[in-house]
Amino acid sequence: MTIVRKVIPYVIAIVAAFAAVGIFIAAMGFDVGRAYQTILFTSFRTPNGFIQTLLKFTPLTLLALAFTVPFTAGKFNIGGEGQMIIGAIAATAVGIMFADLPLFLLLPMVIIAGIIAGAVYGLVPAWLLYRFGINEILTTVLLNFVSFAILDLVATGPWRDPAAGHPTTVTIGSGGFLPMLISNPPLHSGFFLAVVVAAGVYIYTTRTSSGFELLATGANPRAAEVFGVNVRRMFVFSLVLAGALAGLSGAIEVAGVHRRLIEGMQSNFLVLSLIIGLIAKGNNLAVPFVAFFIAVLEIGASAMQRTMGIPVQMVFIVEALVLLFVLLSDVVRRR
Amino acid sequence: MDKEPILVLKGIRKVFDKTVALDNVSFTLHTGEIHGLLGGNGAGKTTLMNILYGLYRKESGEIILQGGKIEIQSPRDALLAGIGMVHQHFLQVSNYTVLENIVLGTDVNHRFTMKLVDETAKVKELCQRFGLDVDLNATIDTLPVGARQKVEILKALYRGVKILILDEPTTNLTPQEVDSLFDSLRKLVDDGLSIVFITHKLREVLRVCDRITVLREGRNITSLDRTHASEEIFVRAMVGEKMDIEGSIYFAREGQKFIAVPREAQVALEVESVSLYSKDGIARLKNLNFEIRQGEILGVAGVAGNGQRELAECMTGIIPPTSGKIMLNGKDVGSVTKGAMRQLGIAYIPEDRLHDGFLPKATIAQNLILGYHRQAPYSDGTFINWKKVYGQARQQISEYTIKTSGPEEVGGTLSGGNIQRVMIARAFSISSALLVAHNPTRGLDIPSMDFVYKKIFERKSQGGTTLLISEDLDELLLMCDRIAVVYRGEIFGMLDRSQFDKYMIGRLMSGIMAEG
Repeated sequence: MTIVRKVIPYVIAIVAAFAAVGIFIAAMGFDVGRAYQTILFTSFRTPNGFIQTLLKFTPLTLLALAFTVPFTAGKFNIGGEGQMIIGAIAATAVGIMFADLPLFLLLPMVIIAGIIAGAVYGLVPAWLLYRFGINEILTTVLLNFVSFAILDLVATGPWRDPAAGHPTTVTIGSGGFLPMLISNPPLHSGFFLAVVVAAGVYIYTTRTSSGFELLATGANPRAAEVFGVNVRRMFVFSLVLAGALAGLSGAIEVAGVHRRLIEGMQSNFLVLSLIIGLIAKGNNLAVPFVAFFIAVLEIGASAMQRTMGIPVQMVFIVEALVLLFVLLSDVVRRR
Repeated sequence: MDKEPILVLKGIRKVFDKTVALDNVSFTLHTGEIHGLLGGNGAGKTTLMNILYGLYRKESGEIILQGGKIEIQSPRDALLAGIGMVHQHFLQVSNYTVLENIVLGTDVNHRFTMKLVDETAKVKELCQRFGLDVDLNATIDTLPVGARQKVEILKALYRGVKILILDEPTTNLTPQEVDSLFDSLRKLVDDGLSIVFITHKLREVLRVCDRITVLREGRNITSLDRTHASEEIFVRAMVGEKMDIEGSIYFAREGQKFIAVPREAQVALEVESVSLYSKDGIARLKNLNFEIRQGEILGVAGVAGNGQRELAECMTGIIPPTSGKIMLNGKDVGSVTKGAMRQLGIAYIPEDRLHDGFLPKATIAQNLILGYHRQAPYSDGTFINWKKVYGQARQQISEYTIKTSGPEEVGGTLSGGNIQRVMIARAFSISSALLVAHNPTRGLDIPSMDFVYKKIFERKSQGGTTLLISEDLDELLLMCDRIAVVYRGEIFGMLDRSQFDKYMIGRLMSGIMAEG
């Protein structure tokens, strides 16, 4: 199938989703055309809009990969936000405790702390699956709630910022700040890191023997096992890798965007990352592109709410409908 | 015996997705005859009969029963029209008795008390009349395959069929059971039934059928009286013009040259006191002792379900034996953790190709390297050289005639026979110390079967060791140096090629120990 033919169902899905929501927007009495314009073009109208889009793109891409990697092996990681939060907590902890260290020491420590913490947090459901056969959907979701509690504990504990009105910690040492690629509007180098990591994950899954084993595990675990793949270990590995990716995302948010740990930092990233992963159908190459598209919509959504008063949920509905229509097009195509 | 047509199928056409399974096929069945429907795998014989029995819908064509056109939309219609079918996979309830299975789905006189006195009498009468003796009170799971098949036939007779279709009935039977079946079939037609006998085995069809229709690739090739044609004509009809019959192994005559194992050949595989107990404590393999030398093909015969799968999985290191040792070239297969196949060089063609060996969502190229994805030439241990993989895949697609558009095609679109070809290509792609092949030619057409035999003999001449587990006794007699017969997980007998005797093997397969 040519590229064009492959893309058509997605284009139709997007158009249909917008059309469906457009009806509601019109029914509410708003200017549909202007709404569409705001949603789609805010990212490209101003440098700030574009930077904001890239800032959103970064965590969305990493979290979507945290979903698609285990998905390739046939497992569902719904704990991206928990793993991100734990990564953020570890990054903040290191950033505050060693606040006096210089950049070339503190920054790598902060980032690596996030990766390792996320990986460990992914190991928990992985081990429960390995040892007791407990469904990872259950454990990863529940661990999200655990992470919220830990976040609350840290943000209201000894490191909390007394001046803030919202649970938040003091800032991490300046050596932990991610260098800016552009200072105004602020684009931190985390974006660059996300792109590199996404490329790395893609190369891993498509070009390495281990990535092949991951694929085989998801395609037919029994056949993979018969032919020498340690399937159970692959399940664990995929979840740990996912945790590491999500943890990295958390560290980047801390080191690049907030410079501290803020309650609610996970925003709506989890649900969006699931939508991205599913629209991309688990394809790691498609993930960054879909993530960028969703980021555009998200930026457009808040602009739309600000300037026109249309609730952001409208865009969320668009995103959900795009996913629904993409899945439907699969069913239709099979007939 | 009047030879009037009782059933005529005219111009039947059936298409699955894009494949034309049947193209304008016709078939005439005379009253009181045994009509053989002959053809290789994929010829369309089962599809044709499934349409007759109402399991498939035809695209076009007519079914004319006793002069009148009928429509058959389901097996129910078929049975009402007096057409019954005995499938390869019996449709029986294992823990019900024979009698219960036979009357299941029919009206019984005492449905609330389930006193089946009248029904028992009726069935007993059928048993007597047709020489199909089975213990009506035995539960199905205690019966051997031959007896279970009799139950299937009785089911059809009980419903008063006039036409009986048998789909590859001899697949799981011992030679003795085959004889018994043929006797029963003769009795059935003497009583007025008409029988369609679907098979790919030419020799059987020549033994028992009155007329024979050959199908190939969904088309009629010929319909002849058995007495009017020779074996050669049927062979040529089955395989077409392209195949070299003289040089083929499948059609080999007696006295064809067989390369014996040289005396100095070393022992490659040594199996010592191997037993395997399942998780619930049932012995699946009991105290196996045998060895295979280099350049030898050891066959394993037996009725399906007597430990063959467990044997295959033990020999390939998938399941470690509960006790005993399996040594391949001096290395203990059982103790190598995960990846015995890769580390010790064992190639495996599993019986359940879909579940145990194939990745439907992956591409054909990916399927071809499964198990070999960490070694040369495909990989340096970390990275996969896809260029090499694709190059090799294209060559394999051509050599093994895998019908596909290319190595990038997703595996799930392949037909059963083509999946089997992928399994075989994979097994022969990298040299191995031991090849374990379990029913390797199942689902393949005759030219492909011949190709597999050629590859196995080629391997033999190069000193390779092969364990061939097969339910096709003819295949084993053709290919093996020695044949071991398994029964309930034990090796009941080991015969050398010079001692090969179909009936002796049949007795061993049924659990009857050889005398003296």
